[in-house]
Amino acid sequence: MDAPGLDHSLNGAGCELRLRGAWCIDHLERVDRLMADLRVPHDRAVRVDASGLTRLDSAGVMMLVNRLRAMGVVWSNVSLHHFQPAQLTLIHLVADRLDARARPRRRRSPPLVFLGRALGTATARLLGQVAFLGRIAEALGDLARRPALLRHREITVQLQTVGLGALPIIMLMTFLLGVVFAYLLGVQVQKFGANIFVVDGISLAVARELSPLLTAILIAGRSGAAFTAQIGAMKVTEEIDAISTLGLSPVQVLVLPRLIAIVIALPLLTFVGDVLGILGGAVVAATQLDVTYYTFFERLKAVLPLKTVLFGMVKAPVFAAAIAFIACRNGFAVTRDARSVGDFTTRTVVQSLVAVILINAVFAVLHPELPR
Amino acid sequence: MSEPVLVADRIHTRMGGHWLHRGVSFSIPRGEVVGLIGASGTGKSVLLRECIGLQRPHAGHLRLFGEDIWALPLKRLNQVRRRFGVLFQEGALFSSLTVAENVAAPLKEHTTLPARLRDELVAMKIRLAGLSMDAADKRPSELSGGMKKRAALARALVMEPELLFLDEPTSGLDPISAREFDHLLRVLCDSLGLTALIATHDLDSLWGMVDRVIVLYRGRVIADGPVDQVAATDHEWIRSYFAAGAIERG
Repeated sequence: MDAPGLDHSLNGAGCELRLRGAWCIDHLERVDRLMADLRVPHDRAVRVDASGLTRLDSAGVMMLVNRLRAMGVVWSNVSLHHFQPAQLTLIHLVADRLDARARPRRRRSPPLVFLGRALGTATARLLGQVAFLGRIAEALGDLARRPALLRHREITVQLQTVGLGALPIIMLMTFLLGVVFAYLLGVQVQKFGANIFVVDGISLAVARELSPLLTAILIAGRSGAAFTAQIGAMKVTEEIDAISTLGLSPVQVLVLPRLIAIVIALPLLTFVGDVLGILGGAVVAATQLDVTYYTFFERLKAVLPLKTVLFGMVKAPVFAAAIAFIACRNGFAVTRDARSVGDFTTRTVVQSLVAVILINAVFAVLHPELPR
Repeated sequence: MSEPVLVADRIHTRMGGHWLHRGVSFSIPRGEVVGLIGASGTGKSVLLRECIGLQRPHAGHLRLFGEDIWALPLKRLNQVRRRFGVLFQEGALFSSLTVAENVAAPLKEHTTLPARLRDELVAMKIRLAGLSMDAADKRPSELSGGMKKRAALARALVMEPELLFLDEPTSGLDPISAREFDHLLRVLCDSLGLTALIATHDLDSLWGMVDRVIVLYRGRVIADGPVDQVAATDHEWIRSYFAAGAIERG
């Protein structure tokens, strides 16, 4: 492909430009330099001759038109010679569409406007949360009046994925946590020769804090993210609009089964976590601290009151409700573009983890005294 | 120059347990605008995907600009890809970018042009595609269906392709926007010297803007020629296809 060129001469009648070579996108920078060196008096007629031109595309035409206009040449003073008919159509089309209007730059908004807008979005989001809470309450109210609305199948399916599906990972994680925590505690109590007290420490810690919190965190990451992604994808494919059109309430169909399932499943999983965490402690106590299994469980009966276990399990449904609320709300907030589902899923995980830890702190403050 | 831009040679494609294409052959000379029609499920879109190197046919050859694209290594295939543009059915604009950024994306990837020239080119293509500059800073989600198609067309044209593939360019547009879009396509094809292959269902597009029609039926090309000639073909499916248009128009 031959390089573009430009000869230019000035005479009494006006200015003559002779184009050579390929004026196309592959050589655009070269063409740009050629045109930049060009000086054309803006009040004269301009004659453009294409007898040496081998190729011309719309990018090349644009350079000719835009640069001549930038020099103040009126397009009607330009005469075109020796162009092919197709090239002439192209030049006329481009000259016609590029009516010398510059590309508008993105406007930057002043800080105050920016602040106002951010505040507006934050308020709208908060109102959206409250409205969504209201819709859930309304759906629950409908359900209380007409129990037939309960979607057994959907709840069962959700119970299976949220509860049974999470069972192996919960068991493994809490068991390992029990092992690690008992080992850490064991090293301390051994210094005082008070090995048996590892039972007190591990049972209280696991039942009251560790198991409820760890289970909630795992479920927030596992099921919370899944809820947002599922509902969000349904929003993208307009399935939620289809549900509304069928005369059903999307909250009733999609949110309540998930909410109910997770509120039932999380306390159960927490109890499994309690058992496995204490079991992990017992294994460490038996192998490292000379506390036999028999001694361990005898001591457990004496030091772990039912109240503490129940306290841990009462927290679980509250965590669960918070996770379900955040996840479903974010699912409904998804907009119809590719990035949105990912954005809102991330938000769900972050927000529900923060919520779980905050709620846990509130419980700790409301009910601080440890049983003796 | 006399060599056809696109040659399909006995294409066979198997999908879902049956043969979708059973020996599809045609060729498109430079500068021609060709319509590809056929009932839903006859594999028009699949054929387009095979032409642009996204899906491999089970047998047969596809030659673009004289190169058998399914025999090329990926690097060479990508060089060939620079020479054609594609307008996907839903536009396939990148939703996280503005219209101007969408149109600029191929330039950023394939050229080393300074930002100033790039912006100038982008603005021209947006104007050529019939959009106002107000649309340039909008995101695809803020555009109407017709504007999306125009923005996608601007992106398809930005690398100065010689060949354009269009998958249902007028689907989802109201008849008035569809005719405007057809007109725009025809003007651009003529003035930019483009060759185009258009898969379409739209009868009015056929009558209005294509030079030639290829009809796919049960895995084969059953008619290939100017619209009026194809419309006069004595074949059951073609008769009912064009008759449906007559009913539609009343």
